[in-house]
Amino acid sequence: MLLYITRRLLILVPVVFGITIIIFFLMHISGDPVRLMYGPNVPKEKILEKRIELGLDKPLYAQYWRWLSQVLKGQMGYSIHLRDSVTRLIKARIVATLELTVVALMFTLVFSIPLGVLSAVKRYSIFDNLGRFFATFWLSMPYFWLGLLFILILGVQLRVLPISGRGGPIWTAAGLQHILLPALTLGLPPMALFTRLVRSSMLEVINEEYIRTARSKGVQESVVIFHHALRNALIPVITLLGLRLPWLFGGAVITETVFAWPGMGRLLVDAVTQRDYPVVQGIVLMLAILVLLSNLLADLAYALVDPRIRYK
Amino acid sequence: MEEKELFAKQLQRLVKNRLSLVGVFIVALIVVAAALAPYIAPYDPIAQDYDALLLPPSPQHPMGTDDLGRDIFSRVVYGTRYALLIGVAVVALELVLGAFLGFIAGYFGKFLGSFIMRVVDMVLSIPTLVLALAIAGALGGGLLVLIIAISVAGWGEFARLVRGQVLYVKEFTYIEAARAIGARDWHIMFKHLVPNCLGPVIVYSTLYMPAAILWSAALSFLGLGAQPPTPEWGAIISDGRSFIASAWWISTFPGIAIMITTLGFNFVGDGLRDALDPKFERQL
Repeated sequence: MLLYITRRLLILVPVVFGITIIIFFLMHISGDPVRLMYGPNVPKEKILEKRIELGLDKPLYAQYWRWLSQVLKGQMGYSIHLRDSVTRLIKARIVATLELTVVALMFTLVFSIPLGVLSAVKRYSIFDNLGRFFATFWLSMPYFWLGLLFILILGVQLRVLPISGRGGPIWTAAGLQHILLPALTLGLPPMALFTRLVRSSMLEVINEEYIRTARSKGVQESVVIFHHALRNALIPVITLLGLRLPWLFGGAVITETVFAWPGMGRLLVDAVTQRDYPVVQGIVLMLAILVLLSNLLADLAYALVDPRIRYK
Repeated sequence: MEEKELFAKQLQRLVKNRLSLVGVFIVALIVVAAALAPYIAPYDPIAQDYDALLLPPSPQHPMGTDDLGRDIFSRVVYGTRYALLIGVAVVALELVLGAFLGFIAGYFGKFLGSFIMRVVDMVLSIPTLVLALAIAGALGGGLLVLIIAISVAGWGEFARLVRGQVLYVKEFTYIEAARAIGARDWHIMFKHLVPNCLGPVIVYSTLYMPAAILWSAALSFLGLGAQPPTPEWGAIISDGRSFIASAWWISTFPGIAIMITTLGFNFVGDGLRDALDPKFERQL
Protein backbone atom coordinates (compact mmCIF):
# COMPACT_ATOMS: atom_id res chain seq x y z
CA MET A 1 0.00 0.00 0.00
CA LEU A 2 2.74 2.41 1.03
CA LEU A 3 4.63 1.49 -2.11
CA TYR A 4 1.53 2.17 -4.18
CA ILE A 5 1.07 5.63 -2.64
CA THR A 6 4.73 6.49 -3.19
CA ARG A 7 4.51 5.41 -6.82
CA ARG A 8 1.36 7.42 -7.40
CA LEU A 9 2.97 10.49 -5.83
CA LEU A 10 5.99 10.08 -8.10
CA ILE A 11 3.76 9.88 -11.19
CA LEU A 12 2.26 13.21 -10.11
CA VAL A 13 5.60 14.99 -10.49
CA PRO A 14 5.65 15.16 -14.34
CA VAL A 15 1.90 15.90 -14.31
CA VAL A 16 2.38 18.91 -12.04
CA PHE A 17 5.32 20.00 -14.18
CA GLY A 18 3.10 19.89 -17.29
CA ILE A 19 0.41 21.83 -15.48
CA THR A 20 2.88 24.60 -14.56
CA ILE A 21 3.71 24.95 -18.29
CA ILE A 22 0.02 25.13 -19.26
CA ILE A 23 -0.83 27.67 -16.56
CA PHE A 24 2.19 29.87 -17.18
CA PHE A 25 1.78 30.12 -20.92
CA LEU A 26 -1.99 30.58 -20.81
CA MET A 27 -1.47 33.40 -18.32
CA HIS A 28 1.02 35.09 -20.63
CA ILE A 29 -0.76 34.76 -23.99
CA SER A 30 -2.30 38.15 -23.46
CA GLY A 31 1.20 39.59 -23.87
CA ASP A 32 1.55 42.43 -21.45
CA PRO A 33 0.10 42.33 -17.95
CA VAL A 34 1.58 45.75 -17.21
CA ARG A 35 -0.39 47.46 -19.94
CA LEU A 36 -3.57 45.80 -18.69
CA MET A 37 -2.65 46.90 -15.19
CA TYR A 38 -2.10 50.56 -16.01
CA GLY A 39 -4.46 51.15 -18.90
CA PRO A 40 -3.62 52.96 -22.15
CA ASN A 41 -2.78 56.47 -20.85
CA VAL A 42 0.45 55.79 -19.01
CA PRO A 43 3.84 57.03 -20.32
CA LYS A 44 6.06 54.44 -22.02
CA GLU A 45 8.93 54.92 -19.55
CA LYS A 46 6.73 54.00 -16.61
CA ILE A 47 5.55 50.83 -18.33
CA LEU A 48 9.11 49.90 -19.27
CA GLU A 49 10.29 50.50 -15.72
CA LYS A 50 7.54 48.29 -14.28
CA ARG A 51 8.27 45.59 -16.85
CA ILE A 52 11.91 45.48 -15.81
CA GLU A 53 10.95 45.50 -12.14
CA LEU A 54 8.68 42.47 -12.67
CA GLY A 55 11.18 40.72 -14.92
CA LEU A 56 8.83 40.90 -17.90
CA ASP A 57 11.51 42.25 -20.26
CA LYS A 58 13.17 38.82 -20.37
CA PRO A 59 12.14 36.16 -22.89
CA LEU A 60 9.14 34.00 -21.96
CA TYR A 61 11.11 30.80 -21.33
CA ALA A 62 13.44 32.68 -18.97
CA GLN A 63 10.45 34.06 -17.08
CA TYR A 64 8.97 30.56 -16.85
CA TRP A 65 12.24 29.15 -15.59
CA ARG A 66 12.44 31.82 -12.92
CA TRP A 67 8.88 31.09 -11.78
CA LEU A 68 9.41 27.33 -11.81
CA SER A 69 12.60 27.51 -9.77
CA GLN A 70 10.75 29.67 -7.24
CA VAL A 71 7.86 27.20 -7.11
CA LEU A 72 10.27 24.32 -6.53
CA LYS A 73 11.60 26.19 -3.49
CA GLY A 74 8.03 26.59 -2.21
CA GLN A 75 7.91 30.26 -3.18
CA MET A 76 5.39 31.40 -5.76
CA GLY A 77 6.55 34.96 -6.24
CA TYR A 78 5.12 38.19 -4.89
CA SER A 79 1.69 39.67 -5.30
CA ILE A 80 1.79 42.88 -7.34
CA HIS A 81 -1.23 44.32 -5.62
CA LEU A 82 -1.11 43.01 -2.04
CA ARG A 83 2.67 43.35 -1.67
CA ASP A 84 2.96 40.00 0.08
CA SER A 85 4.36 36.59 -0.79
CA VAL A 86 1.90 34.47 -2.74
CA THR A 87 2.76 31.42 -0.64
CA ARG A 88 1.86 33.32 2.53
CA LEU A 89 -1.39 34.58 1.00
CA ILE A 90 -2.41 31.06 0.03
CA LYS A 91 -1.39 29.61 3.39
CA ALA A 92 -3.66 32.08 5.16
CA ARG A 93 -6.67 30.96 3.10
CA ILE A 94 -6.26 27.31 2.23
CA VAL A 95 -7.81 26.07 5.48
CA ALA A 96 -11.00 28.05 4.87
CA THR A 97 -11.32 26.63 1.35
CA LEU A 98 -10.69 23.05 2.45
CA GLU A 99 -13.15 23.44 5.32
CA LEU A 100 -15.86 24.66 2.95
CA THR A 101 -15.31 21.98 0.31
CA VAL A 102 -15.09 19.11 2.81
CA VAL A 103 -18.28 20.17 4.63
CA ALA A 104 -20.06 20.64 1.28
CA LEU A 105 -18.96 17.18 0.15
CA MET A 106 -20.22 15.73 3.43
CA PHE A 107 -23.61 17.33 2.83
CA THR A 108 -23.65 15.85 -0.66
CA LEU A 109 -22.86 12.32 0.50
CA VAL A 110 -24.88 12.33 3.72
CA PHE A 111 -28.02 13.23 1.78
CA SER A 112 -27.48 11.45 -1.50
CA ILE A 113 -26.50 7.96 -0.32
CA PRO A 114 -29.63 7.31 1.80
CA LEU A 115 -31.84 8.99 -0.82
CA GLY A 116 -30.33 6.89 -3.59
CA VAL A 117 -30.78 3.67 -1.60
CA LEU A 118 -34.38 4.59 -0.85
CA SER A 119 -35.02 5.39 -4.55
CA ALA A 120 -33.65 2.01 -5.55
CA VAL A 121 -35.48 0.02 -2.87
CA LYS A 122 -38.79 1.77 -3.57
CA ARG A 123 -38.31 1.79 -7.32
CA TYR A 124 -40.96 3.55 -9.47
CA SER A 125 -42.73 4.91 -6.38
CA ILE A 126 -43.76 8.58 -6.31
CA PHE A 127 -40.66 9.15 -4.25
CA ASP A 128 -38.44 7.69 -6.96
CA ASN A 129 -40.05 9.73 -9.76
CA LEU A 130 -39.89 12.96 -7.77
CA GLY A 131 -36.26 12.18 -7.06
CA ARG A 132 -35.50 11.86 -10.77
CA PHE A 133 -37.14 15.19 -11.48
CA PHE A 134 -35.36 17.01 -8.68
CA ALA A 135 -32.05 15.50 -9.73
CA THR A 136 -32.14 17.38 -13.03
CA PHE A 137 -33.66 20.39 -11.30
CA TRP A 138 -30.72 20.81 -8.92
CA LEU A 139 -28.26 20.12 -11.71
CA SER A 140 -29.63 23.14 -13.60
CA MET A 141 -29.16 25.49 -10.65
CA PRO A 142 -26.45 28.16 -10.95
CA TYR A 143 -24.38 28.13 -7.73
CA PHE A 144 -24.17 31.89 -7.42
CA TRP A 145 -27.91 32.29 -7.81
CA LEU A 146 -28.71 29.55 -5.30
CA GLY A 147 -26.38 31.32 -2.88
CA LEU A 148 -28.17 34.64 -3.44
CA LEU A 149 -31.54 32.93 -2.88
CA PHE A 150 -30.30 31.50 0.42
CA ILE A 151 -29.06 34.95 1.41
CA LEU A 152 -32.40 36.52 0.44
CA ILE A 153 -34.65 33.98 2.15
CA LEU A 154 -32.70 32.67 5.15
CA GLY A 155 -30.48 35.66 5.80
CA VAL A 156 -32.45 38.77 4.88
CA GLN A 157 -36.11 37.73 5.25
CA LEU A 158 -36.03 35.17 8.07
CA ARG A 159 -32.73 36.28 9.63
CA VAL A 160 -31.91 32.80 10.89
CA LEU A 161 -28.38 32.38 9.59
CA PRO A 162 -25.38 34.66 9.03
CA ILE A 163 -24.81 35.38 5.33
CA SER A 164 -21.25 36.52 5.05
CA GLY A 165 -17.76 35.74 6.23
CA ARG A 166 -16.35 32.92 8.33
CA GLY A 167 -17.26 32.82 12.04
CA GLY A 168 -14.14 30.98 13.12
CA PRO A 169 -13.07 27.32 13.24
CA ILE A 170 -15.88 24.91 12.46
CA TRP A 171 -16.08 23.43 15.97
CA THR A 172 -17.25 26.75 17.43
CA ALA A 173 -20.94 27.69 17.32
CA ALA A 174 -20.31 30.81 15.22
CA GLY A 175 -18.11 28.86 12.82
CA LEU A 176 -20.79 26.23 12.33
CA GLN A 177 -23.52 28.82 11.75
CA HIS A 178 -21.45 30.68 9.18
CA ILE A 179 -20.52 27.62 7.18
CA LEU A 180 -24.05 26.23 6.81
CA LEU A 181 -25.29 28.38 3.92
CA PRO A 182 -22.11 28.36 1.81
CA ALA A 183 -21.69 24.59 2.30
CA LEU A 184 -25.33 23.94 1.34
CA THR A 185 -24.93 26.15 -1.74
CA LEU A 186 -21.91 24.15 -2.82
CA GLY A 187 -23.16 20.74 -1.69
CA LEU A 188 -26.78 20.62 -2.89
CA PRO A 189 -26.44 20.80 -6.71
CA PRO A 190 -24.10 17.77 -7.01
CA MET A 191 -26.27 15.89 -4.50
CA ALA A 192 -28.79 15.15 -7.23
CA LEU A 193 -26.16 13.59 -9.45
CA PHE A 194 -24.95 11.29 -6.68
CA THR A 195 -28.46 10.27 -5.69
CA ARG A 196 -29.14 9.12 -9.24
CA LEU A 197 -25.87 7.25 -9.42
CA VAL A 198 -26.37 5.49 -6.07
CA ARG A 199 -29.85 4.50 -7.27
CA SER A 200 -28.74 3.03 -10.59
CA SER A 201 -25.73 1.37 -9.08
CA MET A 202 -27.87 -0.18 -6.30
CA LEU A 203 -30.33 -1.46 -8.88
CA GLU A 204 -27.54 -3.21 -10.73
CA VAL A 205 -26.04 -4.79 -7.64
CA ILE A 206 -29.36 -5.94 -6.23
CA ASN A 207 -29.82 -8.49 -9.03
CA GLU A 208 -26.48 -10.16 -8.37
CA GLU A 209 -26.29 -13.76 -7.29
CA TYR A 210 -24.68 -13.05 -3.94
CA ILE A 211 -27.62 -10.86 -2.95
CA ARG A 212 -29.99 -13.73 -3.71
CA THR A 213 -27.72 -16.05 -1.74
CA ALA A 214 -27.71 -13.71 1.23
CA ARG A 215 -31.50 -13.43 1.14
CA SER A 216 -32.03 -17.13 0.75
CA LYS A 217 -29.88 -17.96 3.74
CA GLY A 218 -32.16 -15.71 5.78
CA VAL A 219 -30.06 -12.62 6.30
CA GLN A 220 -32.11 -9.64 7.44
CA GLU A 221 -33.18 -7.35 4.58
CA SER A 222 -31.54 -4.29 6.13
CA VAL A 223 -28.23 -6.16 6.38
CA VAL A 224 -28.59 -7.29 2.77
CA ILE A 225 -29.20 -3.71 1.61
CA PHE A 226 -26.57 -1.92 3.65
CA HIS A 227 -23.87 -4.53 4.13
CA HIS A 228 -23.99 -6.56 0.93
CA ALA A 229 -25.49 -4.26 -1.68
CA LEU A 230 -24.52 -0.72 -0.71
CA ARG A 231 -20.89 -1.54 -0.18
CA ASN A 232 -20.59 -2.83 -3.73
CA ALA A 233 -22.78 -0.09 -5.14
CA LEU A 234 -20.42 2.55 -3.76
CA ILE A 235 -17.59 1.74 -6.18
CA PRO A 236 -18.94 3.77 -9.14
CA VAL A 237 -19.87 6.50 -6.66
CA ILE A 238 -16.21 6.85 -5.75
CA THR A 239 -15.35 7.07 -9.45
CA LEU A 240 -17.85 9.89 -9.91
CA LEU A 241 -16.50 11.56 -6.79
CA GLY A 242 -13.03 11.63 -8.34
CA LEU A 243 -14.41 13.07 -11.58
CA ARG A 244 -16.48 15.74 -9.84
CA LEU A 245 -13.73 17.08 -7.59
CA PRO A 246 -12.58 19.76 -10.06
CA TRP A 247 -16.19 20.97 -10.21
CA LEU A 248 -16.26 21.15 -6.43
CA PHE A 249 -13.25 23.46 -6.32
CA GLY A 250 -14.59 25.51 -9.24
CA GLY A 251 -17.92 25.90 -7.44
CA ALA A 252 -16.05 26.91 -4.29
CA VAL A 253 -14.62 29.92 -6.13
CA ILE A 254 -18.13 31.20 -6.87
CA THR A 255 -19.56 30.29 -3.48
CA GLU A 256 -16.72 32.02 -1.64
CA THR A 257 -17.32 35.18 -3.65
CA VAL A 258 -21.07 35.22 -2.95
CA PHE A 259 -20.67 34.62 0.79
CA ALA A 260 -17.46 36.65 1.28
CA TRP A 261 -15.82 33.44 2.54
CA PRO A 262 -12.14 34.20 3.18
CA GLY A 263 -10.72 31.37 1.07
CA MET A 264 -8.48 30.96 -1.97
CA GLY A 265 -11.39 31.28 -4.41
CA ARG A 266 -12.22 34.80 -3.36
CA LEU A 267 -8.56 35.75 -3.44
CA LEU A 268 -8.41 34.32 -6.97
CA VAL A 269 -11.36 36.39 -8.18
CA ASP A 270 -9.88 39.54 -6.64
CA ALA A 271 -6.48 38.78 -8.16
CA VAL A 272 -8.00 38.18 -11.60
CA THR A 273 -9.87 41.50 -11.56
CA GLN A 274 -6.76 43.35 -10.33
CA ARG A 275 -4.51 41.64 -12.92
CA ASP A 276 -2.35 40.28 -10.13
CA TYR A 277 -1.00 37.43 -12.24
CA PRO A 278 1.53 35.94 -9.78
CA VAL A 279 -1.35 35.33 -7.34
CA VAL A 280 -3.57 33.90 -10.11
CA GLN A 281 -0.83 31.49 -11.24
CA GLY A 282 -0.16 30.39 -7.68
CA ILE A 283 -3.78 29.70 -6.81
CA VAL A 284 -4.60 27.91 -10.07
CA LEU A 285 -1.56 25.68 -9.53
CA MET A 286 -2.54 25.07 -5.89
CA LEU A 287 -6.12 24.14 -6.85
CA ALA A 288 -4.84 21.74 -9.54
CA ILE A 289 -2.56 20.07 -6.99
CA LEU A 290 -5.47 19.77 -4.55
CA VAL A 291 -7.55 18.08 -7.28
CA LEU A 292 -4.73 15.64 -8.04
CA LEU A 293 -4.23 14.80 -4.37
CA SER A 294 -7.94 14.27 -3.76
CA ASN A 295 -8.09 12.02 -6.83
CA LEU A 296 -5.38 9.96 -5.17
CA LEU A 297 -7.49 9.81 -2.01
CA ALA A 298 -10.49 8.65 -4.07
CA ASP A 299 -8.35 5.85 -5.53
CA LEU A 300 -7.28 4.81 -2.05
CA ALA A 301 -10.93 4.75 -1.02
CA TYR A 302 -11.49 2.00 -3.62
CA ALA A 303 -9.26 -0.29 -1.60
CA LEU A 304 -11.26 0.41 1.54
CA VAL A 305 -14.59 -0.37 -0.11
CA ASP A 306 -13.45 -3.25 -2.27
CA PRO A 307 -11.04 -5.62 -0.55
CA ARG A 308 -10.34 -7.32 -3.90
CA ILE A 309 -8.39 -4.25 -4.92
CA ARG A 310 -5.06 -4.52 -3.17
CA TYR A 311 -2.71 -2.48 -5.23
CA LYS A 312 0.36 -4.51 -6.08
CA MET B 1 -34.73 0.96 -45.24
CA GLU B 2 -33.26 -0.38 -42.02
CA GLU B 3 -31.72 2.93 -41.15
CA LYS B 4 -35.05 4.65 -41.52
CA GLU B 5 -36.69 2.17 -39.20
CA LEU B 6 -33.99 2.71 -36.62
CA PHE B 7 -34.46 6.46 -36.82
CA ALA B 8 -38.24 6.09 -36.46
CA LYS B 9 -37.73 3.91 -33.41
CA GLN B 10 -35.35 6.46 -31.89
CA LEU B 11 -37.79 9.27 -32.57
CA GLN B 12 -40.57 7.21 -31.01
CA ARG B 13 -38.50 6.64 -27.90
CA LEU B 14 -37.73 10.37 -27.67
CA VAL B 15 -41.41 11.32 -27.96
CA LYS B 16 -42.48 8.69 -25.45
CA ASN B 17 -40.27 10.26 -22.81
CA ARG B 18 -42.44 13.03 -21.40
CA LEU B 19 -39.68 14.95 -19.69
CA SER B 20 -37.71 15.22 -22.91
CA LEU B 21 -40.80 16.57 -24.66
CA VAL B 22 -41.00 19.22 -21.96
CA GLY B 23 -37.33 19.89 -22.66
CA VAL B 24 -37.92 20.27 -26.41
CA PHE B 25 -40.76 22.67 -25.63
CA ILE B 26 -38.59 24.78 -23.33
CA VAL B 27 -35.71 24.93 -25.81
CA ALA B 28 -38.11 25.90 -28.60
CA LEU B 29 -39.53 28.63 -26.40
CA ILE B 30 -36.05 30.02 -25.69
CA VAL B 31 -35.15 29.98 -29.39
CA VAL B 32 -38.38 31.80 -30.26
CA ALA B 33 -37.77 34.35 -27.50
CA ALA B 34 -34.26 34.97 -28.83
CA ALA B 35 -35.43 35.33 -32.43
CA LEU B 36 -38.39 37.57 -31.66
CA ALA B 37 -36.86 39.50 -28.75
CA PRO B 38 -37.60 42.96 -30.22
CA TYR B 39 -41.29 42.04 -30.59
CA ILE B 40 -41.67 40.36 -27.21
CA ALA B 41 -39.76 42.82 -25.03
CA PRO B 42 -41.94 45.83 -24.18
CA TYR B 43 -38.94 48.15 -23.64
CA ASP B 44 -35.44 48.71 -24.95
CA PRO B 45 -33.26 46.47 -22.72
CA ILE B 46 -30.64 49.16 -22.14
CA ALA B 47 -32.88 52.25 -22.07
CA GLN B 48 -32.70 53.96 -18.69
CA ASP B 49 -35.80 55.56 -17.17
CA TYR B 50 -35.12 57.74 -14.16
CA ASP B 51 -38.83 57.95 -13.34
CA ALA B 52 -38.99 54.18 -12.87
CA LEU B 53 -36.12 53.27 -10.53
CA LEU B 54 -36.22 49.97 -8.61
CA LEU B 55 -39.95 49.42 -9.21
CA PRO B 56 -41.32 46.07 -7.99
CA PRO B 57 -43.07 43.79 -10.51
CA SER B 58 -46.30 45.34 -11.85
CA PRO B 59 -48.42 45.09 -15.03
CA GLN B 60 -46.21 47.78 -16.66
CA HIS B 61 -43.00 46.04 -15.63
CA PRO B 62 -43.78 42.33 -15.13
CA MET B 63 -40.37 41.68 -13.55
CA GLY B 64 -39.80 45.14 -12.09
CA THR B 65 -37.00 47.58 -12.93
CA ASP B 66 -33.40 47.97 -11.80
CA ASP B 67 -31.51 50.86 -10.22
CA LEU B 68 -31.21 52.59 -13.62
CA GLY B 69 -34.89 52.16 -14.42
CA ARG B 70 -34.29 49.44 -17.01
CA ASP B 71 -37.10 46.94 -17.51
CA ILE B 72 -35.95 43.55 -16.17
CA PHE B 73 -38.38 41.56 -18.33
CA SER B 74 -37.00 43.12 -21.51
CA ARG B 75 -33.45 42.46 -20.31
CA VAL B 76 -34.25 38.84 -19.51
CA VAL B 77 -35.89 38.35 -22.94
CA TYR B 78 -32.85 39.79 -24.74
CA GLY B 79 -30.65 37.68 -22.45
CA THR B 80 -31.85 34.53 -24.27
CA ARG B 81 -29.82 35.71 -27.27
CA TYR B 82 -26.59 35.86 -25.30
CA ALA B 83 -27.21 32.55 -23.53
CA LEU B 84 -27.84 30.72 -26.82
CA LEU B 85 -25.03 32.50 -28.65
CA ILE B 86 -22.48 31.74 -25.95
CA GLY B 87 -23.72 28.19 -25.40
CA VAL B 88 -23.68 27.27 -29.09
CA ALA B 89 -20.36 29.01 -29.74
CA VAL B 90 -18.64 27.33 -26.78
CA VAL B 91 -19.96 23.87 -27.65
CA ALA B 92 -19.00 24.35 -31.33
CA LEU B 93 -15.47 25.53 -30.51
CA GLU B 94 -14.87 22.76 -27.98
CA LEU B 95 -16.27 20.22 -30.40
CA VAL B 96 -13.91 21.33 -33.14
CA LEU B 97 -10.90 21.43 -30.83
CA GLY B 98 -11.72 18.49 -28.58
CA ALA B 99 -13.22 16.17 -31.18
CA PHE B 100 -10.35 16.80 -33.56
CA LEU B 101 -7.67 16.06 -30.97
CA GLY B 102 -9.65 13.16 -29.51
CA PHE B 103 -10.06 11.67 -32.97
CA ILE B 104 -6.36 11.90 -33.69
CA ALA B 105 -5.53 10.48 -30.27
CA GLY B 106 -7.89 7.57 -30.82
CA TYR B 107 -7.01 6.77 -34.42
CA PHE B 108 -3.27 7.30 -34.45
CA GLY B 109 -2.86 5.76 -30.97
CA LYS B 110 0.62 5.08 -29.68
CA PHE B 111 2.94 8.00 -29.16
CA LEU B 112 0.92 10.98 -30.44
CA GLY B 113 -2.27 9.61 -28.89
CA SER B 114 -0.83 9.13 -25.44
CA PHE B 115 0.86 12.52 -25.59
CA ILE B 116 -2.48 14.22 -26.37
CA MET B 117 -4.22 12.30 -23.61
CA ARG B 118 -1.59 13.26 -21.02
CA VAL B 119 -2.19 16.91 -21.92
CA VAL B 120 -5.95 16.30 -21.59
CA ASP B 121 -5.40 14.79 -18.12
CA MET B 122 -3.46 17.89 -17.10
CA VAL B 123 -6.04 20.33 -18.44
CA LEU B 124 -8.83 18.37 -16.76
CA SER B 125 -7.14 18.46 -13.38
CA ILE B 126 -7.47 22.24 -13.37
CA PRO B 127 -11.12 23.07 -12.54
CA THR B 128 -12.67 24.36 -15.80
CA LEU B 129 -14.21 27.38 -14.17
CA VAL B 130 -10.95 28.32 -12.46
CA LEU B 131 -8.94 28.00 -15.69
CA ALA B 132 -11.57 29.90 -17.68
CA LEU B 133 -11.54 32.63 -15.04
CA ALA B 134 -7.75 32.94 -15.22
CA ILE B 135 -7.71 33.01 -19.04
CA ALA B 136 -10.56 35.54 -19.22
CA GLY B 137 -8.67 37.71 -16.74
CA ALA B 138 -5.45 37.49 -18.75
CA LEU B 139 -7.25 38.40 -21.98
CA GLY B 140 -9.19 41.26 -20.41
CA GLY B 141 -12.86 40.21 -20.34
CA GLY B 142 -15.71 40.71 -22.80
CA LEU B 143 -18.07 38.39 -24.67
CA LEU B 144 -15.61 37.01 -27.22
CA VAL B 145 -12.98 36.47 -24.54
CA LEU B 146 -15.58 34.65 -22.45
CA ILE B 147 -16.32 32.21 -25.28
CA ILE B 148 -12.63 31.60 -25.98
CA ALA B 149 -11.75 31.22 -22.29
CA ILE B 150 -14.43 28.59 -21.58
CA SER B 151 -13.62 26.68 -24.77
CA VAL B 152 -9.88 26.61 -24.14
CA ALA B 153 -10.51 25.48 -20.55
CA GLY B 154 -13.14 22.86 -21.33
CA TRP B 155 -12.28 20.93 -24.50
CA GLY B 156 -10.66 18.09 -22.58
CA GLU B 157 -13.85 16.19 -21.86
CA PHE B 158 -14.83 16.20 -25.55
CA ALA B 159 -11.39 14.87 -26.48
CA ARG B 160 -11.67 12.08 -23.92
CA LEU B 161 -15.17 11.14 -25.09
CA VAL B 162 -14.33 11.08 -28.79
CA ARG B 163 -11.11 9.13 -28.23
CA GLY B 164 -12.94 6.51 -26.20
CA GLN B 165 -15.59 6.19 -28.89
CA VAL B 166 -13.01 5.90 -31.68
CA LEU B 167 -11.11 3.22 -29.76
CA TYR B 168 -14.38 1.33 -29.26
CA VAL B 169 -15.58 1.55 -32.87
CA LYS B 170 -12.10 0.82 -34.26
CA GLU B 171 -12.23 -2.74 -32.96
CA PHE B 172 -15.37 -3.69 -34.89
CA THR B 173 -15.12 -6.28 -37.63
CA TYR B 174 -16.40 -3.97 -40.34
CA ILE B 175 -13.42 -1.67 -39.83
CA GLU B 176 -11.12 -4.63 -40.08
CA ALA B 177 -13.00 -5.72 -43.22
CA ALA B 178 -12.66 -2.26 -44.73
CA ARG B 179 -8.96 -2.33 -44.03
CA ALA B 180 -8.64 -5.83 -45.45
CA ILE B 181 -10.12 -4.78 -48.79
CA GLY B 182 -7.57 -2.00 -48.90
CA ALA B 183 -9.51 1.11 -47.84
CA ARG B 184 -7.35 4.12 -47.13
CA ASP B 185 -7.11 5.80 -43.72
CA TRP B 186 -9.18 8.80 -44.71
CA HIS B 187 -11.89 6.58 -46.16
CA ILE B 188 -12.15 4.55 -42.94
CA MET B 189 -12.15 7.73 -40.88
CA PHE B 190 -14.87 9.62 -42.69
CA LYS B 191 -17.01 6.79 -44.01
CA HIS B 192 -16.96 4.53 -40.98
CA LEU B 193 -15.55 6.10 -37.85
CA VAL B 194 -17.06 9.59 -37.92
CA PRO B 195 -20.69 8.46 -38.52
CA ASN B 196 -20.41 5.84 -35.79
CA CYS B 197 -19.01 8.29 -33.27
CA LEU B 198 -21.69 10.86 -33.92
CA GLY B 199 -24.41 9.59 -31.55
CA PRO B 200 -22.56 10.00 -28.25
CA VAL B 201 -21.07 13.28 -29.46
CA ILE B 202 -24.53 14.74 -30.18
CA VAL B 203 -25.81 13.61 -26.78
CA TYR B 204 -22.78 14.99 -25.00
CA SER B 205 -23.00 18.31 -26.87
CA THR B 206 -26.61 18.74 -25.75
CA LEU B 207 -25.73 17.82 -22.20
CA TYR B 208 -22.78 20.21 -22.35
CA MET B 209 -24.90 23.22 -23.36
CA PRO B 210 -26.23 23.77 -19.81
CA ALA B 211 -22.70 23.59 -18.40
CA ALA B 212 -21.50 26.17 -20.95
CA ILE B 213 -24.44 28.46 -20.12
CA LEU B 214 -23.89 28.09 -16.37
CA TRP B 215 -20.15 28.76 -16.64
CA SER B 216 -20.58 31.80 -18.85
CA ALA B 217 -23.21 33.20 -16.49
CA ALA B 218 -20.88 32.57 -13.56
CA LEU B 219 -18.00 34.40 -15.25
CA SER B 220 -20.26 37.32 -16.16
CA PHE B 221 -21.50 37.32 -12.58
CA LEU B 222 -17.88 37.70 -11.45
CA GLY B 223 -17.52 40.65 -13.84
CA LEU B 224 -15.37 38.92 -16.46
CA GLY B 225 -17.83 38.14 -19.21
CA ALA B 226 -20.42 40.40 -20.74
CA GLN B 227 -19.76 44.02 -19.82
CA PRO B 228 -22.47 46.52 -18.83
CA PRO B 229 -24.97 47.41 -20.14
CA THR B 230 -25.20 44.04 -22.00
CA PRO B 231 -28.38 42.26 -20.87
CA GLU B 232 -26.63 38.96 -20.14
CA TRP B 233 -28.26 36.92 -17.34
CA GLY B 234 -25.21 36.48 -15.13
CA ALA B 235 -24.42 40.18 -15.44
CA ILE B 236 -28.00 41.16 -14.50
CA ILE B 237 -27.83 38.92 -11.41
CA SER B 238 -24.55 40.58 -10.50
CA ASP B 239 -26.15 44.05 -10.95
CA GLY B 240 -28.93 43.08 -8.56
CA ARG B 241 -26.62 41.66 -5.93
CA SER B 242 -26.22 44.90 -4.01
CA PHE B 243 -30.01 45.34 -3.97
CA ILE B 244 -30.81 41.80 -2.84
CA ALA B 245 -32.36 43.05 0.42
CA SER B 246 -34.44 45.86 -1.09
CA ALA B 247 -35.13 44.78 -4.70
CA TRP B 248 -35.13 40.97 -4.85
CA TRP B 249 -36.63 40.91 -8.35
CA ILE B 250 -33.50 42.10 -10.18
CA SER B 251 -31.47 38.97 -9.39
CA THR B 252 -34.32 36.49 -9.01
CA PHE B 253 -35.86 36.54 -12.51
CA PRO B 254 -32.69 36.16 -14.61
CA GLY B 255 -31.73 33.29 -12.29
CA ILE B 256 -35.04 31.57 -13.02
CA ALA B 257 -34.38 32.13 -16.74
CA ILE B 258 -30.97 30.43 -16.47
CA MET B 259 -32.50 27.54 -14.57
CA ILE B 260 -35.34 26.98 -17.01
CA THR B 261 -32.97 27.11 -19.98
CA THR B 262 -30.44 24.67 -18.53
CA LEU B 263 -33.28 22.44 -17.32
CA GLY B 264 -34.65 22.33 -20.87
CA PHE B 265 -31.33 21.34 -22.40
CA ASN B 266 -30.76 18.74 -19.67
CA PHE B 267 -34.16 17.12 -20.35
CA VAL B 268 -33.50 17.06 -24.11
CA GLY B 269 -30.01 15.63 -23.57
CA ASP B 270 -31.28 12.90 -21.22
CA GLY B 271 -34.04 12.04 -23.68
CA LEU B 272 -31.62 11.90 -26.62
CA ARG B 273 -29.31 9.64 -24.68
CA ASP B 274 -32.10 7.23 -23.83
CA ALA B 275 -33.40 7.32 -27.41
CA LEU B 276 -30.07 6.80 -29.16
CA ASP B 277 -28.78 4.18 -26.79
CA PRO B 278 -31.34 1.98 -25.04
CA LYS B 279 -28.54 0.59 -22.88
CA PHE B 280 -28.53 3.81 -20.90
CA GLU B 281 -32.22 3.62 -20.14
CA ARG B 282 -31.95 1.47 -17.09
CA GLN B 283 -28.82 3.16 -15.83
CA LEU B 284 -30.10 6.60 -14.98
